[in-house]
Amino acid sequence: MTICRGRCLRVDLTTQEIATTSTPDDGIGGRSWNSLTLLRELAPGIDPLGPENILCLSVGPLTGSELIGSCRFIASAKSPLTGYLGDSGARGFFAPELRWAGVDQIVFTGAAERWVYLLIDDGTVELRDASHLVGRDITETTTDLRRELHDPDLQVAAIGPAGEHLVRYAIISCNLARAAGRTGMGAVMGSKRLKAIAVRGSQPVKPADPDRFRRACTELEAAIEGHPEFESRRLYGTTRIMDSLAAMGVLPAYHFRSANFDEVEKVNGRALRRDHVVKPKSCYNCNIYCSRYNVTEYNEGEGPEYEAQAGFTVKCGNADLELAVGVSNTVNRLGLDCISTAEVIAWLMECRHEGLIADADVDGIDLGWGSREALLRLPEMIARREGIGNLLADGSRRAAEVFGPEAERLTAEVKGLELFSADPRGIKGYGLMNAVNSRGGDHYRAEPSIELTGDEVLAIRRVGNPDAAHALKEEGKGALVNYAEHLGILSDSLTICKNISCCMDVVDFDLAAVAYSGLLGKDVSPGQLWEVCTEVGQAERDFNLREGLRPDEDTLPRRFVDAPIPDGPAAGTTIDITRLVSDYYREKGWREPPPGEN
Amino acid sequence: MTAVIPRDRGGAYKEYPVIKCDIRLCVGCRICEVTCSAFHFGAVSPALSRIRVAKLEEIGIDMAVACVSCAEKSCLVCPTDALTVGEEGEIALARELCTSCQECVSACPVGAVGFYEDLPLFCDLCDGDVSCVRTCPTDALSNVDEGGESLEAFAASDGNPAEKRAAYVEVQGVPLRDSWAAGQRVDS
Repeated sequence: MTICRGRCLRVDLTTQEIATTSTPDDGIGGRSWNSLTLLRELAPGIDPLGPENILCLSVGPLTGSELIGSCRFIASAKSPLTGYLGDSGARGFFAPELRWAGVDQIVFTGAAERWVYLLIDDGTVELRDASHLVGRDITETTTDLRRELHDPDLQVAAIGPAGEHLVRYAIISCNLARAAGRTGMGAVMGSKRLKAIAVRGSQPVKPADPDRFRRACTELEAAIEGHPEFESRRLYGTTRIMDSLAAMGVLPAYHFRSANFDEVEKVNGRALRRDHVVKPKSCYNCNIYCSRYNVTEYNEGEGPEYEAQAGFTVKCGNADLELAVGVSNTVNRLGLDCISTAEVIAWLMECRHEGLIADADVDGIDLGWGSREALLRLPEMIARREGIGNLLADGSRRAAEVFGPEAERLTAEVKGLELFSADPRGIKGYGLMNAVNSRGGDHYRAEPSIELTGDEVLAIRRVGNPDAAHALKEEGKGALVNYAEHLGILSDSLTICKNISCCMDVVDFDLAAVAYSGLLGKDVSPGQLWEVCTEVGQAERDFNLREGLRPDEDTLPRRFVDAPIPDGPAAGTTIDITRLVSDYYREKGWREPPPGEN
Repeated sequence: MTAVIPRDRGGAYKEYPVIKCDIRLCVGCRICEVTCSAFHFGAVSPALSRIRVAKLEEIGIDMAVACVSCAEKSCLVCPTDALTVGEEGEIALARELCTSCQECVSACPVGAVGFYEDLPLFCDLCDGDVSCVRTCPTDALSNVDEGGESLEAFAASDGNPAEKRAAYVEVQGVPLRDSWAAGQRVDS
């Protein structure tokens, strides 16, 4: 059954030909369109950084509408970091503009001979020379394009030096700091010599059944404003979570060596707001406006979110928040994923701490915990593949192969994708999510956020098991992660901010069905949406199995499986990842080991 | 504010309430654009909005710009006299006289005149229940009797409406930027 269909631009960068077709007719927007396109069109086994890879960029039918937070685009391709399905979403203002330009999906194939950018000006689409933008960072690229096209309102999604140099965790970024950050979609864009996509659009998004659509919008608005986290999200955004994670005993201090970071008060959300935040910032059409603008002695910019904040402080053993915020701004400008970058640096510091490498191995850079020199210099070197940066640009898994098995033992990645800033042993749902999700070690794929709030009532409503709400219990986590994955696919398809839909848990399939029905002017049931999400999840699994995924890769790094949390409030906690994964497989109805094993 | 005295059309304009944006509070969410276009057209697109947010991302400044009911009334440049100042002080458009030449759009020094489907767009305060003011999540917007600001300083601004909005907002943002440089933080 076809729920919705959109307009797809096909851009062949080799021949520079552009054609218009339709999106897949069995998806519901965004990630669903991209995953189905890639499963059907991408040849197995190709080089992710070769011209055979396909880069898809989608919005959904609700993007750019009145629905709060409907502001994301999803970029998907085979990941150069994991070798499996890669995709990542970005908030901000690019996605609505693309929708107003009448484009729902762009499928880039081939590779250009010389650097180009794509200009979409309502009905007009053209590839243009981008040689003058090469080497420019994300802020410069965006600002240059706005100036030369005489349009300060122009929306630009660009890569920085990191994408140009094929750093395997390079981002595609819009609005200077809103990144499609994970799995190296910026490197795929760079491999195609596509520097940027610039868009302006004026075509209205008009719901076919305004009253019904308005009902969904009003319901969501009320749910957000009545939410217990509403005020703290307004004040601190994602940076609010540092204190909670500290209390739960899952901070990744000194690269997961400790759950205690004595100077947490110096680097938490309150410290950030007190010392560096000059104003809140918002993505498109959001009544929470949870982002922030910072000014530091180094630079200024939007952010950081929790991951950059914790990654460049707690994880690296650095108590200098000003430095961390400055680094976060730089990493955004260079076009690097802050999670992978922080993880690579923190891992390197731990290798140094363990005596596995010497400063001399890394161009003489001081790798002591919290080293200012390392934090200031390494991102620049990684983004341009200079010195040791060339090796680190390939991610911690590949770098560890060079540094040897002891260094390998210290990595924190799943399927090649670096882990977030929390200890998966003390939040079992997140631990399981990191082990099994289709893009590798990652928390934002789907957020089993109920175990952060401990809301038993909601856990019963969502998965029928109050245990699912307890971070330290392993019961009910297969069902919780399966539900969260469905909600993740739904969110990435319709394309709403997952902090709203998944973390605050204020969007469910019922509400989404009203929104789709109102926008499209036809009856779409929650069951139909659930079914599409199941099919898309299976398509993503099939894609990865086809690329050689083995079930034994659905696990956590050995360091978390073999040893308990060493200290802090959750000291002694272990994680039985085999049990959790089995529970999840059962929930999915997969055989053990699952079908498709080669 | 004193009543506005037009320079060449005779008679005094009635003071007209305008939408003001407090640049210190604007977070750049563009909800005002969403609600303005939804209120007037039942659809969402900034091209349909009578209020537009200039987002100067590289310096962290956001500000919504709508008609300030300026002292100069530059938009009355209309060659077919389709534009007049109405009884309430508002800019009134006689649709049948409009030739879609967009001279009013170009003439506005701050780029506050929209244009969609052959007609210029002027803020009409939503017939009383001003939707952008009502929905602004930070209360940056207010509906005040403070029309009559002189835009003389921006009359020579080059560029298209978007560039003029940006130039206007950059100037409005200078004191805020200065306060940041002096150590002002969001809660201080």
